[in-house]
Amino acid sequence: MSSESELKSTAAADNPLAHDPELLNDFILESREHLTSIELQLLTLDQDPTNAEAIHSIFRGFHTIKGMAGFLDLDAVREVAHEVETVLDLARNARLVVTSAVIDRILESKDYLNRWMSALETMLATGQAPGMPDPGELLALIRDLATEASASARAMDLARPEGSTPDDAPNAPANIPENAAALPDQPEAATRDLAELARELASSSEEPARDPAPPAVAENAESGKGGEAHGMAARSIKVDTGKLDYLVDMVGEMVIAQSLVRHDPDLVAGLKPRLGRNLSQLTRITDEVQRIAMSMRMIPVGQLFQKTARLVRDLSRKAGKHVDLELTGEDTELDRNIVEDLADPLMHMVRNAIDHGIETPEERERAAKSRTARVTLKAGHQAGHIVIQVSDDGRGLDAEKILRKAREKNLISDDAPLTESEIFNLIFQPGFSTADKITDISGRGVGMDVVRKHIQKLRGRVDILSKPGQGTTFVLKLPLTLAIIDGLVVAVGNSRYIVPVFAVREMLKPAEDAISTIHGREEMAMVRGTLLPLVRLHQRFHVTPRFEKPWESLLIVSESGSKQFCLMVDELIGKQEVVIKSLGEGLRNIAGVAGGAILGDGRVGLILDLEGLFGASHGA
Amino acid sequence: METMVAMAPAVSTALKADQRAGKYLTFQLGNEEFAIQVLRVREIMGIQEITAVPQTPDYVKGVINLRGKVIPVVDLRLKFGLQELEYTPRTCIIVVQIESDAGKLMIGVIVDAVSEVLTLQAADIEDTPDFGSGVATPYLLGMAKLKGKVKILLDINMVLSSQELQVLPSF
Repeated sequence: MSSESELKSTAAADNPLAHDPELLNDFILESREHLTSIELQLLTLDQDPTNAEAIHSIFRGFHTIKGMAGFLDLDAVREVAHEVETVLDLARNARLVVTSAVIDRILESKDYLNRWMSALETMLATGQAPGMPDPGELLALIRDLATEASASARAMDLARPEGSTPDDAPNAPANIPENAAALPDQPEAATRDLAELARELASSSEEPARDPAPPAVAENAESGKGGEAHGMAARSIKVDTGKLDYLVDMVGEMVIAQSLVRHDPDLVAGLKPRLGRNLSQLTRITDEVQRIAMSMRMIPVGQLFQKTARLVRDLSRKAGKHVDLELTGEDTELDRNIVEDLADPLMHMVRNAIDHGIETPEERERAAKSRTARVTLKAGHQAGHIVIQVSDDGRGLDAEKILRKAREKNLISDDAPLTESEIFNLIFQPGFSTADKITDISGRGVGMDVVRKHIQKLRGRVDILSKPGQGTTFVLKLPLTLAIIDGLVVAVGNSRYIVPVFAVREMLKPAEDAISTIHGREEMAMVRGTLLPLVRLHQRFHVTPRFEKPWESLLIVSESGSKQFCLMVDELIGKQEVVIKSLGEGLRNIAGVAGGAILGDGRVGLILDLEGLFGASHGA
Repeated sequence: METMVAMAPAVSTALKADQRAGKYLTFQLGNEEFAIQVLRVREIMGIQEITAVPQTPDYVKGVINLRGKVIPVVDLRLKFGLQELEYTPRTCIIVVQIESDAGKLMIGVIVDAVSEVLTLQAADIEDTPDFGSGVATPYLLGMAKLKGKVKILLDINMVLSSQELQVLPSF
């Protein structure tokens, strides 16, 4: 770990470390990790202000960042980290009581450093130094904390007999005047640093030969990262996610190619026992490789949950509500790509729960509930899917009001009979979310259409359970991975298409009298007592089918949003796991087509997007 | 390799022609002989089964599997407004890499038959004659005359720019 003297000795002008984009990148990555864990520990500390382990951990995080920033001449970052460290040092020596105000300040510092990391990233990407917020004010605020604390500590020391002063006590106050002197330069320094850095980076990448000491750079980088990083390196390495995605793709292809070989008619005809055994062995290995490759991209959902902890804290304070956040099933693993896309909807749902679902403490008391409300995030597996639940114990959804509002907005016809879940689903309607009134009265309207769109993009579904006065639960059902889907291979004429299994309710061959038409154009099929619209795939895609009559064909009862419809195809060929591929840049947005997949015989099959298919047939 | 027939140097276009000189792959389309820069060509394959994609212009025949990658295939006959022809064993798909706004992408191009690879000198290349107003020739790089036959040099990037592939709304 870097010491104070080393930091001071680095001269800003000719420090080769500060001009190395790779080093900066490492710094950003590592700092981000530290900042994330810092936030987590701060929230723990917020619950239990005496948690010494949390204080130590936060201290270590800031200390590491400070050390690295020192090497890279990022003075503003170093300064802020240093001041926070001073405060934390007082806290861990029990000279400062960790209050909410202290935690707020440290959280602010953490946010400030995060903004710095973003600015550095922008700079690396564009070569332009963006304007940085001025750390001066923040520094002053943190110093105030330290000064107050040390003043009271000194008072305590005076009361004690001489000689019992802890060794490190003089350190903290001594830092204050020194840094206070540097304060006036600070705002300028921050932006100047970045601008300079941008210039240096630009020039050093143009003329790499001029770099005076490349070997020294590498060496110093090693020592700069310190012992902790070394320990980590032994157990995990950082891999470019693009490479990982490519690997998963290729392994998918390998599994398909393997099955092609295994089921090759020529090979099957002359299969000898030894070849059979070897092929089985190959199958086992490819399966295992696929499993491992997929698992490499899986990350625990806990990281995502923990991000909401900060949101819950900030929002509940702002709204004057008391909210406890409970997390369960954080170890549940999910594809990295899904976790990333899940962040937004999760934030929306948590925000809605706190803003609208949960009552004020007074209201809760009147309703004979505990003053502190509870928001629960729960993750788990269920039949090959991941299920994530976001629940609150607030006032619940008011079905009557939602219905009234939906009728006013003409989202539904006046006499349409709706089940409770259909009514709740109305809040996902895009028109519904902009209605100010409903958000004031019953809550749950802001951005809910965004939530559903996101979830559907992830090929998942979202359901609402709610009881008046007892709370609301959003149930998200998501696939384990986005790379592979279970598909039904169906045929229409000579073409074959893949229907994602998750959207299929059932398949049937209808009786002749189950089909009816409206105005001789729109067709309907009676399925289990409900009339469902009939969509002929061959009409949508302009191909020649083998069967023109619905009762000769196969109907796939599919779900699009909260609506059901029947998709008419010639026949079902089989069920297959397929790797989803893009059709390429020029063919990106075709209504009704989600992508392509290589089928067992090497041909490309189109994967149907039922949402788009149904929407397109009804949109025009 | 072809032996080069020296042409009268076109002084006014010498600079432009210099950039156009290089190796070309020639292919047939109807009665005409076309040429595209070899640098653009990734591979040449026989015609194979193509999966049709709905809501695309008729010259987009669909998509094929190129070693695990799905790429679109364009029929150059239809693209150039020629009559559609039954595919024969000589029909080829030339896979080219083009640059679009969205980055590099691979596209298959169906042609009647692939002929040969030629090295064209600057002196072999002439500018496209002016057909008068109303005849747009943005994707013609120029003409090359070899052994008395004219070869039309195509800027395949222009022919297959991503806008040209874009989907026509059909319902």
